[in-house]
Amino acid sequence: MLSLQHISKFYQVGGTRNFVINDISLEVEAGEFISIMGPSGSGKSTLLNIIGMLDEPSSGYHYFVGETVHQLKDKQRSALYKKYIGFVFQAYHLIDELTVYENIETPLIYQDFKSTERKAMVADMLDRFQIVGKKDLFPAQLSGGQQQLVGIARALIAGPKLLLADEPTGNLNSKQGEEIMQLFKKLNKEDGVTIIQVTHSEKNAEYGSRIINLLDGRIESSKQL
Amino acid sequence: MIRNYIKTAWRNLIKNKFYSIINIVGLTAGLAIGILILFWVQDEFSFDSFHKDAKNIYRLELWGGTGASRQIWQSTVYPIGVLAKQQLPEVEDVVRIGYNGDFASYRYHDKVFANDRVAYADPSFFSVFSFPIVSGNPNKPFNDDNSVVITKSTAQKYFGNDNPIGKVIIADNKQNFTVSGVVTDFPENSSMQYDMMMPMSFNIKHMLAQRIDLSDNFDEYDCFTYLKLKPGTSLKALSAKLFNIHIKHHSADTDVAYLLLPITKMHLYNADLTDRGITMVRVFLIVAILILIIACINYVNLSTARSMLRSKEISMRKIIGAAKSQLFMQFIVETALLFLLSAILALVLIHFLMPVFNQLSGKQLIFDITDYHVWMVIVLTISGTLLASSIYPAILLSSFEPLKALKGKISSNIGDVMFRKILVVTQFVFSIMLIVGTIVITSQLNYIRSRQLGYDRSNTFSFPMRDMGNHYDAVRAELLKQPGVLDITRSNQNIIQMNGISGETDWDGKLPGQTFIVHLMTIDKDFLSFFKMKMAAGKGFTGAVNDTSHLILNEAAVKQIGLKDPVGKRFQAWHMKGTIIGVVKDFHFASMKEKISPAVFYYYPSYLGNIYIRTTGKDAPKAIAAAQKLFKQYNGEFPFSYTFLDEKFNDLYKGEQQESSLFNYFAAIAIGISCLGLLGLAAYTAQVRTREIGIRKVLGAGVSNVTIMLSYDFVKLVLIAIIIATPIAWYAMSKWLQDFAYRITIEWWMFLVAGLLAIVIAFITISFQAIKAAIANPIKTLRSE
Ligand SMILES: Nc1ncnc2c1ncn2[C@@H]1O[C@H](COP(=O)(O)OP(=O)(O)OP(=O)(O)O)[C@@H](O)[C@H]1O
Ligand SMILES: [Mg+2]
Repeated sequence: MLSLQHISKFYQVGGTRNFVINDISLEVEAGEFISIMGPSGSGKSTLLNIIGMLDEPSSGYHYFVGETVHQLKDKQRSALYKKYIGFVFQAYHLIDELTVYENIETPLIYQDFKSTERKAMVADMLDRFQIVGKKDLFPAQLSGGQQQLVGIARALIAGPKLLLADEPTGNLNSKQGEEIMQLFKKLNKEDGVTIIQVTHSEKNAEYGSRIINLLDGRIESSKQL
Repeated sequence: MIRNYIKTAWRNLIKNKFYSIINIVGLTAGLAIGILILFWVQDEFSFDSFHKDAKNIYRLELWGGTGASRQIWQSTVYPIGVLAKQQLPEVEDVVRIGYNGDFASYRYHDKVFANDRVAYADPSFFSVFSFPIVSGNPNKPFNDDNSVVITKSTAQKYFGNDNPIGKVIIADNKQNFTVSGVVTDFPENSSMQYDMMMPMSFNIKHMLAQRIDLSDNFDEYDCFTYLKLKPGTSLKALSAKLFNIHIKHHSADTDVAYLLLPITKMHLYNADLTDRGITMVRVFLIVAILILIIACINYVNLSTARSMLRSKEISMRKIIGAAKSQLFMQFIVETALLFLLSAILALVLIHFLMPVFNQLSGKQLIFDITDYHVWMVIVLTISGTLLASSIYPAILLSSFEPLKALKGKISSNIGDVMFRKILVVTQFVFSIMLIVGTIVITSQLNYIRSRQLGYDRSNTFSFPMRDMGNHYDAVRAELLKQPGVLDITRSNQNIIQMNGISGETDWDGKLPGQTFIVHLMTIDKDFLSFFKMKMAAGKGFTGAVNDTSHLILNEAAVKQIGLKDPVGKRFQAWHMKGTIIGVVKDFHFASMKEKISPAVFYYYPSYLGNIYIRTTGKDAPKAIAAAQKLFKQYNGEFPFSYTFLDEKFNDLYKGEQQESSLFNYFAAIAIGISCLGLLGLAAYTAQVRTREIGIRKVLGAGVSNVTIMLSYDFVKLVLIAIIIATPIAWYAMSKWLQDFAYRITIEWWMFLVAGLLAIVIAFITISFQAIKAAIANPIKTLRSE
């Protein structure tokens, strides 16, 4: 479903190019659950953002669900992104001004779902994540784990094929983290959502089907579980 | 979608109460004042445009005189309009209106009124103009020469609720006029304002009895002539034709040139299209726009500055799929919501301010929600300002790069710090200009009031004596005995605004072709000494019998005709000939806007109907009571009304006084709104720099260090504004001053004061926030980071 070929990303620092991603090639099949690991600064987030089309590589070829991403215009790219990709962040990044319900609902609004459809979909999601009772609270009134649940619900609401998560458990304690991982696993197995997560935890990485280790912008090793 | 936008916008409003209040207060004040001024401007422009044929009606005016005495006359001779209608096909109709000064009082049963809003008019008045007749026959408004058409409120005044048609009003106890029609009251925005209209034919008959045939008189310029023209008439060609007609009947008037002033312009322009109020309307229009811009700038500045704090929310919206256009709409909706709130508050504010504004501006504006003009102004203003303040922030906010914003890297380039600085400078340029304007206008008015008039008008009241004048000597002796009365004199008309003018002048040494227009006044022998006027040459009147063949000129007259050694020379104006026995030093008998005009003074005891009584001031009421008692004794039921010269003099500057006080308020409001924005920005800066301030304090910075650090940036902007505003304000105010023949010079201290005032106000505003940030406990602020 996803193919990166000779992707590089560099920043011009002074006169020299500073490669953050250095000639990475990567194939991802639908239904995979990939964990990306590596030391701080090795380029994990950058790679994930490139995959999620939030960032652009400096060079290389990028294919996604049959589309040639590196040749698409901004508008087409964001349409593609809207349709297929969901994002989860370490810092949750919920919209503080919106309630739990509205946070989850917002992506649907941007994709022009009808109000009745939205209601049903959000209710369904709240149910699934067992946060119905919290639907009228604002993010500031939730614990970190609950916020991340909402973040994931929001990422999933429009039914993405690919879920990208940048250290989704980084701000959580181990029990909360485990719950999130169980959830990811279930999503991957039962709903067939392809997942790529960045993590620092060996234990969490092992929920995946493949672990990729980055070092200085290169794939140092890759192992199938 | 919209509901979602509104919900978020509302929560944002509530969450950031401080900024919301600043924004709403600023916008409300700006919109309310802006709209009020625009109402005023619109009212000024609407004058005389309510006539159905307004486009085709012109007032006939003319240039007359040569050289320095050449001027525009608004009134014409009687026959010219009638002849024009008879001979020129493009002239569809003519209306002549003459001031009716023949009667001083009007009586119905026991009700007596003095009335000076009475005119003689041709019957066409009611067909050419759109003053609807509500009872009576519009096609034949006057039944005969002794008919009168009155306004509704005049009818109410005289007859209460009785049917006015057929009732008889007696003028000066001798002449009967029968009411033949009632016309609706003249609208406030009509230049013509009358209570009663009598037929011009009565005037002509009346004058004929005095052996003056107005139908063939080319000497008396005292009727207004309005012409209704065929659409598309060439005004230039018509004025040439009018000149030809005039010259055929009066070949001496080669200096006459006819002008046609569209009636829709006569309120704001002179017939040569020079300023008669249009400048002030433009100034106020600009002030309104400035105030609105200042209010918009506040909003733009605060919302872009604060967008940094919202970058996370916006980025997330983008990441979860918001298109740029959707975000753009969200911010437009947010701005619109704030504007809607402010607009509603502004309308409420206008409702309450309207009476105050009317009092200040001398207008009678009505805040009539059902009038579409009112809505036009409101809707245009609000949508204009909404557009101006929403687009830029919306573009800015919707074009964030989400990743950068999430990483907090956006702070340096977001909200275009430079752009905001420019806007703040702009605001203060406007404010400083308004302060300079206020200072200049106030100084000029003070100057006028304190300027030596060349005569003493203190504690003096004056009134027309009427029949009491026949017993002047007895009256004078009686009044001088009263406590509080210091001195008494008389003349033919009030010294302030002398109206008598003549262009039929002759003198020893007059050059061929030279013409000269002069003000005439007849005075008593003690008039000059009463007003403490000084002689430049010769002597005043003594009251000797041969004084009636003597005359006195003022310096301006001598200068204008270029007379050397005037005393002893012969001078004639109108039919009054005589020898010059003195020259009186110039004194201001008109507005300071005009140069002192030439004037000639005669001594004719029989023409002196206007009495002046100087009082001690303290006992003025007693003097007035005594004068009134005597007045009643000779004039019976005739109403007594007097004016103090001081008041009458101040009336000359009523317009300027109103402008000045309005200007003061506008300037204060503009500065207030600007400072509100500054307060918001300062608070924002303090908020953004909380961490930095905390660290600096831990490192040992004192409260004053931090306050100065935070204030410096803003005060610098105000300084730049002063530099920019100074030349613009200087230029604008010099133009305004040009209207006055006697004026102050603009001085550097005015800019200094304006600048200092702006800096002080801005500094107080900022330091309020700066000190608050500076005294905050650093440990607390750092921990919360
Ligand atoms: N705008 C930029 N300019 C220059 N260098 C940058 C920029 N953005 C990121 N980098 C560099 O790119 C490298 C990779 O950053 P990235 O955020 O991908 O690391 P990471 O592997 O996610 O680290 P962490 O585990 O700490 O999140 C870092 O060394 C960072 O300094
Ligand atoms: Mg990272």
